[in-house]
Amino acid sequence: MTTSSDKEMNPLPPGTLLRGKWHGKTYRLEKLIGLGANGQVYLATSNGYRCAVKLGLEAADLQGEANILAALDHAEKKRRRFLLDVDDALIGGREVPFYIMRFVPGVPVNAFLQKHGAQWVGVVGYRLLERLAQLHEAGWVFGDVKSDNVLVGEYGKLELVDYGGMSAIGRSVRQFTEIYDRGYWSAGSRTADAAYDWFSVGMLWLHALDRKRLLHTTKTLLPQNRNTDELMKLVRSHPRLKPLESWLAKAFTGEFEDTRDAAKQWREAVQQSQKSKAQAPGQVPMWMAGLLATAVALSLSVAAVWLFQ
Amino acid sequence: MKQILLITDGGSNVGDSPVVAAAQAYAEGITVNVAGIVDEGTIGELGATEIAEIAKAGGGISRIVTSGQLSRTVQMMTRQTIAGSIRQAVNQELRQLFGVENVGALPPSKRSEVVKVMEEMEETMSLSVALLIDASASMKPKLHAVEEAIRDLTLSLQAREGKSQVAVFHYPGSSQDEICVLDSEWTTYASKIGTLFGRIRMKGTTPTGPAILQVVDYIRETCGNISYEPIDAQQSSARSVSNEVRSDYVV
Repeated sequence: MTTSSDKEMNPLPPGTLLRGKWHGKTYRLEKLIGLGANGQVYLATSNGYRCAVKLGLEAADLQGEANILAALDHAEKKRRRFLLDVDDALIGGREVPFYIMRFVPGVPVNAFLQKHGAQWVGVVGYRLLERLAQLHEAGWVFGDVKSDNVLVGEYGKLELVDYGGMSAIGRSVRQFTEIYDRGYWSAGSRTADAAYDWFSVGMLWLHALDRKRLLHTTKTLLPQNRNTDELMKLVRSHPRLKPLESWLAKAFTGEFEDTRDAAKQWREAVQQSQKSKAQAPGQVPMWMAGLLATAVALSLSVAAVWLFQ
Repeated sequence: MKQILLITDGGSNVGDSPVVAAAQAYAEGITVNVAGIVDEGTIGELGATEIAEIAKAGGGISRIVTSGQLSRTVQMMTRQTIAGSIRQAVNQELRQLFGVENVGALPPSKRSEVVKVMEEMEETMSLSVALLIDASASMKPKLHAVEEAIRDLTLSLQAREGKSQVAVFHYPGSSQDEICVLDSEWTTYASKIGTLFGRIRMKGTTPTGPAILQVVDYIRETCGNISYEPIDAQQSSARSVSNEVRSDYVV
C-alpha cells in the first residue's frame, strides 16, 4: 500500500562503492535507474557483472521486499534467480540496507511502443498476461502493473520489475499507482486478487495508446464520477482501442475465468482486429508499402549505375 | 491500535492548546497524525510549527501537502504509523531478548524472519482511525479533496485482513457549546461514509485543542474498556498477553 515516498535520500554519484557488511561483496554503483516507493534503484557492477541494487533507509521495508523476491525464486526454481544478495553498507557514515537483483534489460512498454509501433501491442499484451498467470497460479498478485514496471526487450520479450510490491492473494495490495488502481476508479476493492491485475493491464493499454485523453479525463472528472463507464467511453472513441472493446470491458469488470482465459481472449481479440483490418479494402500494410518503395528505389539506382557506366 | 488523523489548514485560535490535547491522547494510547493542507500561498510559520508540534506530542507524523496529494499522504501516514508502532514493539523485544538495537542490526537471514512476523502483524492487527476535519471557513474549497481522501483511506483499510474502522468528525460545530460534530460513527465500509460535508456551515473559529479532546473521549467511550472493573488489573493482564504473543513471534 505504499503510495509515495517521504523519506528523502540524495542520489549517490556513479562510482560509489557498496561494501556488504555481512556477506563481504562489493558493488559499484553505475547509474540511478529508478526511484521506488521507499528507496532508489541503481544499475551496478560486481566483478564485471551487471546487477541492480535497491537501497533505502528502512531495513524492515527492504527486507520485506527481499522476502517476496526470495519466495518467488523459491516458487519458480527453473529460471535464473532474481534475488542475489541482501546486505548493509556504510555510506557517508550511515548504515544503509540494500539488496541485489538480477539486472533486467529492456525499456518500459510505453517507450517500446513509441519506438517500434503499436503493432506490438498484441504480442506484448499476451506475454504480460501469461507472466501474470504464472504469478497468480503461484498465489501472488503483482499489484503495481504500469508502464515503468513492464520492461520489453527484443521482439516483445517481456519481464516485470519491482516484484517487491507484490501481494499475496487475499491480502491488501501493498503497492499501487493511482490511475492504474481499481479502487481509484470505483471499480472494486484493494484486496489482492487476479482481477486486480486485469484492471491495471486494461489501464496500461489505455495509458499506452490514449495517454493524453486519459490524463485529461483523470484531471477533470470529479472523484465521485470516476468509473469504468468513463473509461469505456474513451475506449469506444479511439481507433486502436475500439477493436479491444469487449476485452477491456471484461478487464475492467473482472469477468474472465482466470488469467489464462484473459490471455486467450486477448489473443483472439487481437487476431480478430487484425483480420478485419486486412479485409478492409484499399489498405496496404505499411511494411508492404515500404518494401515496394525500397524495391523501386533499389532498381532505379541499379538502372542509374548501369546507364551512366 | 488507535489513531486520530487531524486534517487542517492552519493554526488553532480558540480554547486549550492542541499540543497538550495531543499529548493527552498519546498518554491514553492514541497516536495523533496531522495533515496540513496548503493550496495557495503558505500555511504560515505559526501554523506549520503547530502542526509539527501536535504530531510530535501525539507520537505521530505530520505532513504539509496540497489537496491533490492529500489522499496518498493520508494513507502513507496511517500505514507508517502502524508499521512504526510495530517496529517499536519488536525492537523493544529484540533489545530485551538478544541485546540488539533494532531489526536492522540483525544479520539479513534473521531479519528476514522477524520482518515476516512484523508484516503479518501490520496486516492483521485491528485498527481504528478517527478523522478530525477542520471545517473552518478557509477549508471550504478543500473539503472535496478531504472527502476523497477519507473514501480512499477507508477503501484501503477495508482490504486489510485485520479489523479496521473509521469514524469522521468535523469542527467547529454549529452552536456555541458544540465543539465538534460526529459525521460518521465507526464504520468499515467506504460506501457508508457517503457525502459528509454537504450541510456544514463554515465558521471562522478553529478550536483544534478542544476538538481533539472530544474525539479522545469518543474513542475512550466506544473502543476503550467497556466494563469499568479494576482498570489496573485489566491493563496489566492486557500487557502480559501482548507480551507473550510478541515473544512467541520473535523467538
